[in-house]
Amino acid sequence: MKFSKLLLIALSISLFVSCSSDDDDSPKGAYANGFFILNEGSTDAGTVSFSSDDFSIFTKDAYKAENGSDVLGNFVQNIFFDGDRAYIIAGGSNVITVVNRYTFKLIAKIDSGLANPRYGVTKDGKAYVTNANTYSYINPETGDTDDYVAVINLATNTVESKIDLNATANRLILEDGKLYITEPNSSTKLLIVNIATKAVETVEIGLRGDSIEEENGTLFILKAPYTGSGEIVKVKISDKSVSRIPFPESLAGTRGMDIEDNKIYYTAGSAVYAMDINATTPSTTAIVNTPATNIYGFAVENNRIYIADAAFNKDSKAYIYNLSGVLQKELTVGVGANGFYFND
Amino acid sequence: MTINRLFTFLLFVMCQIISAQSDSITSLKEVFVSDKNLKNYSVSQSVLKLNDSVINKNEALLTDLLNFNSTLYFKEYGRGMLSTVSFRGTTSSQTAVIWNGININSQMNGSTDFNTISGSDYNSISVKAGGGSVIYGSGAVGGTVHLNNDLLFFNRFENNLRLDYGSFNTIGINYKTSISNKKWSAQIGLSKNSSTNDYKYLNRYTWRGEQRWNQNGQYDIITLSANAGYKFDENHILKLYSQTSNTDRNTSLVTESETKSKYVNGFNRNLLEYDGTFGKLKTNFKTAYIFENYQYFADNASKYFTYGKTENLITKLDIDYHLFKSTHINGIADYSRTNGYGTSFGSHVREISSAALLIRQNIGADWKNEFGIRKEFTNNYKSPVLFNIGSSYKFNSWYNLKLNISKNFRIPTYNDLYWDQGGNPDLKPESSYQGEIGNVFTFKNLTWTQNFYYMKITDMLQWVPGSDGIWTPQNQDKVNSYGTETLLGWKKSYGKNIFALNATYAYTVSQDEETKNQIFFVPFHKATGAISYSRNKISAYYQILYNGFVYTRADNNPDEIINDYTISNIGIDYDLKFLDSFKIGFQVLNLLNKDYESLENRPMPGRNFNLYLTLKF
Repeated sequence: MKFSKLLLIALSISLFVSCSSDDDDSPKGAYANGFFILNEGSTDAGTVSFSSDDFSIFTKDAYKAENGSDVLGNFVQNIFFDGDRAYIIAGGSNVITVVNRYTFKLIAKIDSGLANPRYGVTKDGKAYVTNANTYSYINPETGDTDDYVAVINLATNTVESKIDLNATANRLILEDGKLYITEPNSSTKLLIVNIATKAVETVEIGLRGDSIEEENGTLFILKAPYTGSGEIVKVKISDKSVSRIPFPESLAGTRGMDIEDNKIYYTAGSAVYAMDINATTPSTTAIVNTPATNIYGFAVENNRIYIADAAFNKDSKAYIYNLSGVLQKELTVGVGANGFYFND
Repeated sequence: MTINRLFTFLLFVMCQIISAQSDSITSLKEVFVSDKNLKNYSVSQSVLKLNDSVINKNEALLTDLLNFNSTLYFKEYGRGMLSTVSFRGTTSSQTAVIWNGININSQMNGSTDFNTISGSDYNSISVKAGGGSVIYGSGAVGGTVHLNNDLLFFNRFENNLRLDYGSFNTIGINYKTSISNKKWSAQIGLSKNSSTNDYKYLNRYTWRGEQRWNQNGQYDIITLSANAGYKFDENHILKLYSQTSNTDRNTSLVTESETKSKYVNGFNRNLLEYDGTFGKLKTNFKTAYIFENYQYFADNASKYFTYGKTENLITKLDIDYHLFKSTHINGIADYSRTNGYGTSFGSHVREISSAALLIRQNIGADWKNEFGIRKEFTNNYKSPVLFNIGSSYKFNSWYNLKLNISKNFRIPTYNDLYWDQGGNPDLKPESSYQGEIGNVFTFKNLTWTQNFYYMKITDMLQWVPGSDGIWTPQNQDKVNSYGTETLLGWKKSYGKNIFALNATYAYTVSQDEETKNQIFFVPFHKATGAISYSRNKISAYYQILYNGFVYTRADNNPDEIINDYTISNIGIDYDLKFLDSFKIGFQVLNLLNKDYESLENRPMPGRNFNLYLTLKF
């Protein structure tokens, strides 16, 4: 088929769709050009909320709206994308729900081979998902060493192999064929996994390493201790050298970090701060003091700051600011809002 | 006979009953129970007694009995799973469960799981509405549930055996023997209730299109009871109560792919009680040892578990002095020592002593007053002075007015104080002031109780995430509850036909003082009804339960609710008059096959059946 023909068909379909449906003002589906807010749930199953970028469309429970009574499962932790598909991880139910990222219609579920799945990334038709497996407070013998990366074949939606980590694992990013994994509660190490060879290396960074980002060959890891102030640990990918940006006492209660346009944004208490990516001391001047009492999700994207103020016995709030700290929108989302994911 | 035909047959029988306009069985009317303080110090409050004939018409576990016969609201994590109560709009740890006069709410979480108790292990179960902390201690805020074993001293040798077999492989074996003479009294009981509990979820299918069913919901509850009493003479009686129980229960799944977990819990309770009368002075001395434990297996297939255990030693001396002709005064001193240890709260000892003074006065036969004051002493928390003032006046043969005002509390639990991480050792008890007016109307065949109450609870314990992300309990919320309760009992016989009707209704408003929102999982409305009929060897009954909607969120989001539901049961039994009594019975539960749940994504079973035999010899 010629490209022009394909284009014609695509155009006519999009015309048809836009003529026939008032809701779907995007040719791809109702959930394009916006962002998802993950709500992990508490005693009840978790949900996913959606808002369009211009806030004109908001759906509090997108999965229910499109799929009826089926549920995503307990503790909706993470969503990741590949092509037209979105993969929603419900850690407490050992399941990943595969939906069309634009229509949010259910396609399949990956429901075996997972044990407390946490976060996922994709590359070349495969997904790499960290699995916390058992926890040491229940299983003191191997709880801290049995975590693994499940390698999922996205064509068949099945776990095809596992990479044992001999450590604990949580958040991860993928950079040049390697996974970089942190885990705040039990691990003092950054894990580096070569997905081709499945070899695992470690770099000592200390306890409480959580949010992780890569920029210009350097990893930025936010350490958020329970008490006192945190720090940003920088790991140069080329030589694995470690440097640190300690936070002063005034920045106690560090929680989230995101890097956007050469600036590192981070939260401490209920405030948001930013520092230059090359700075060696953190800014202690808040961009905005939010009304949030429990910042549980944080992102900076397209010149906006996204804050999730999680509540577990009622709906959570999401606050969206511009980079000057002016509130753009307040959204009422589901129980236990824990993250923002952008669907362009 | 197919089920449908059986159904028609039952309906036919019921029609007969209704057209015959006759009779029944169970009387839920307000009566006093044997537990001494419950009898002596509850004249100004409402006590609903459920005797064994009511207990026998309900499913084995206490949740069903109380759900269908009282104003208590239950939240169940699926059939047979964790079941927590709300009484007068309060939390699950603000209803105290009292076993033969001893508070048995968990020291670890403060509440009682009503699906771990089998009703048939007790001679009677009473539900007392309103505050009772002066006598029963922590948690007697919304009300108290009393599990009583009565020891009787007369010549008898009696055996009761009940066998149940129902849908989902639900099996019940309940045996009780009572042996007594004028000196000795003994009761030995065994109950075993189990089910594979693999019921289908009505109208629910997996994404693959398969029928969904209750996976990993099996339970098995075994309880052994032995009670004995020895009467030295009319003035000196020694009693020993002992009970051991184990609940081995899996936890049903919300989604099929979850890791299957299991929760095993048990208790051992021993109570030695001495009653002595010395002229105007009566003494009651109790000493009890209560052991409670749980093991949680996050993965059934694994050997690993987390656990918690508490050992609680209680001694209590109650001296009742007959001051004047009409006035009694009681002085109560007690001491309780709890040793708790577990994976999530380390090892801690807690000692609490308390002193209480109670006065009751009868002015003539119609006017009764009661007063009580209590103070606890402990290093663990600051304890408020508790009190109780009540009066009951009988205006005439058909109207009795009751007034009661009290201050009650709920102490922090082991989890609240010591949970690692997050436990807060600096907590105050939750405390409440409350007042109520009870109206009891008694006509020829009808008893009608109408209660009105108002309750103010402060320092409610709430687990909230701190700035460091660790959840910790705080004394923060204030709650105001008010409402009304209606209890109706009617009984009449026409010749050999006995017809009875019992009904309850509760209207409950329970508001967060700051937000004015209804507390979530408190229904505004709940109603129950039971009609029963008996004639000679046959008896039949019908029960109905209406549970109003509940909010599931503190913000009262109207989209996040559990819908209201009405469910009903029907049963019939026939006495073959073999031995003392040999009844064969059949029940249809959830008669109309209602698709309902009491918690999100925790569907309850549709129509199901139970066949039972009860033997007395």
